[in-house]
Amino acid sequence: MSQTPHKSDAGPMLDISNLSKDFTVNGSRIRVLEHLNFQAMAGEFLCILGQSGCGKSTLLKLLAGFVSPSSGYIHFNGLPVTGPGPDRCVVFQEDALFPWLTVEENIGFGLKGKKLTTGEVENRVDHFLDLTDLTRFRDYLPRDISGGMKQRVALARVLVLSPRVLLMDEPFAALDAQTRERMQDLLLSIWQSLGQTIVFVTHDVTEAVILSDRTLVMDRVPGDFTDIVGISPERPRVHDSKQFMALTRQLKTIISA
Amino acid sequence: MNRTLPWILPGGVLAAWFLASGLGWIPSYLLPPPSEVADTARVYIFGTAGEGPYAGRFAGDALASLGRVGLGFFLAAGLGLSLGVWSGRVSVVGRLVNTSINGLRAVPGITWLPLAMVWFGIGLKTTVFLVALAAFFPIYLNSAAGAAQVNPLLLQAGAMMGVDRIRGTFAILLPAAMPSIVTGLRLGLGISWAYLVLGELSGVPDGLGAVIMDARMLGRIDMIVVGIILIAVMGQLSDLLLKKVLKFCFKSAAHQP
Repeated sequence: MSQTPHKSDAGPMLDISNLSKDFTVNGSRIRVLEHLNFQAMAGEFLCILGQSGCGKSTLLKLLAGFVSPSSGYIHFNGLPVTGPGPDRCVVFQEDALFPWLTVEENIGFGLKGKKLTTGEVENRVDHFLDLTDLTRFRDYLPRDISGGMKQRVALARVLVLSPRVLLMDEPFAALDAQTRERMQDLLLSIWQSLGQTIVFVTHDVTEAVILSDRTLVMDRVPGDFTDIVGISPERPRVHDSKQFMALTRQLKTIISA
Repeated sequence: MNRTLPWILPGGVLAAWFLASGLGWIPSYLLPPPSEVADTARVYIFGTAGEGPYAGRFAGDALASLGRVGLGFFLAAGLGLSLGVWSGRVSVVGRLVNTSINGLRAVPGITWLPLAMVWFGIGLKTTVFLVALAAFFPIYLNSAAGAAQVNPLLLQAGAMMGVDRIRGTFAILLPAAMPSIVTGLRLGLGISWAYLVLGELSGVPDGLGAVIMDARMLGRIDMIVVGIILIAVMGQLSDLLLKKVLKFCFKSAAHQP
């Protein structure tokens, strides 16, 4: 297990024990996740790596509270998860912005209904517009900006809520390679300054090696972890270092086994 | 060019009408010349009592008709929208009411006229009943379809940002379903005018439909034509007003063509 600068002495932020999930499809039960056990420590960057259809998105929905487990437990900060909430925010794979709201209004959406003054809301929105480099596009509608910018809005609109945990479901999978790298850098720098716990689902081995403190590799359905791999504490990571390549090879071997 | 385009067709019809009347192709007892109709319209709208049987009655008739259309349409919109959105989102409600509503929908609105006259007598109530009944179906069906087709990710996004049920309904569900809802409301308003005339043909003393029926019995073809044109104009204006109001209330309605 690796060291991160954000690790606190408190217990695990997310504690998953014996978690299983079944779905009923056409009358027959299908087990998607089987007896998962893992923990995410406060401030840890955890990647869940697996091929498509292994149940990793289902796992994220369970952590978010959109669906409930068939058996087993999910504890967040010591308490069982009973539903979705702004302390565990999700960045979706697809564009899930509100298409009728501007970039700025999308980012401020979650702050409305909280007891904040207009000035406080504006300050927070401005701060995260700036952090995600979207200030110039604040009045644009989602349909008028690129895919990478949309995912930056999706990130900013949850960061304004100061979530303890960020749940990210292949958020950069639909982006081109260059944009994806820029988004990874942005995410890392935000994480290093704000220190949230991040659970990041991906099917991209390189992405897991670049981003995570630890990577959990998931098997095919019914999903279970075949391996848990600690990645080097060294950051920033150099893509062509020996260690980096060795880790990438190791994960590729595990995932295709 | 873009501003003149919508007027080319009415202008052409008017020119053909001038020509046909001027050259005597159409006898005036079937269709009076435009000049005569224009004069009748002038007297009907601006005339003072004594200039003829219909002089100056427009304001009163228009108000009576608008009241009936407005009341009927608002009843239909209130019931159709709320029931439609509810049944579109909650499958139990949909299954409970859809069969009955589709059965009723198959009955032509005019079939209700005899029953409505027995229940409500002649006048406001019967007309409002017919208008509300006819306008209900397109509003209900489009609201239900719109609500059912809302991207579930948008609702999940709201839930994870801590949006409660009421705000989720008014700030996410309704705006997201707005394109369909606008279509339903506009169709409903159009049908309201059609059923207004039907209701007023049943023998009420005032209203645009009543004037048309009265004019037929007196053989005043010019007055019938004036009534038809005025209903077309008022229908068009009420449609514009509806669009403006919806755009004012919902940003998502502003992106409608």
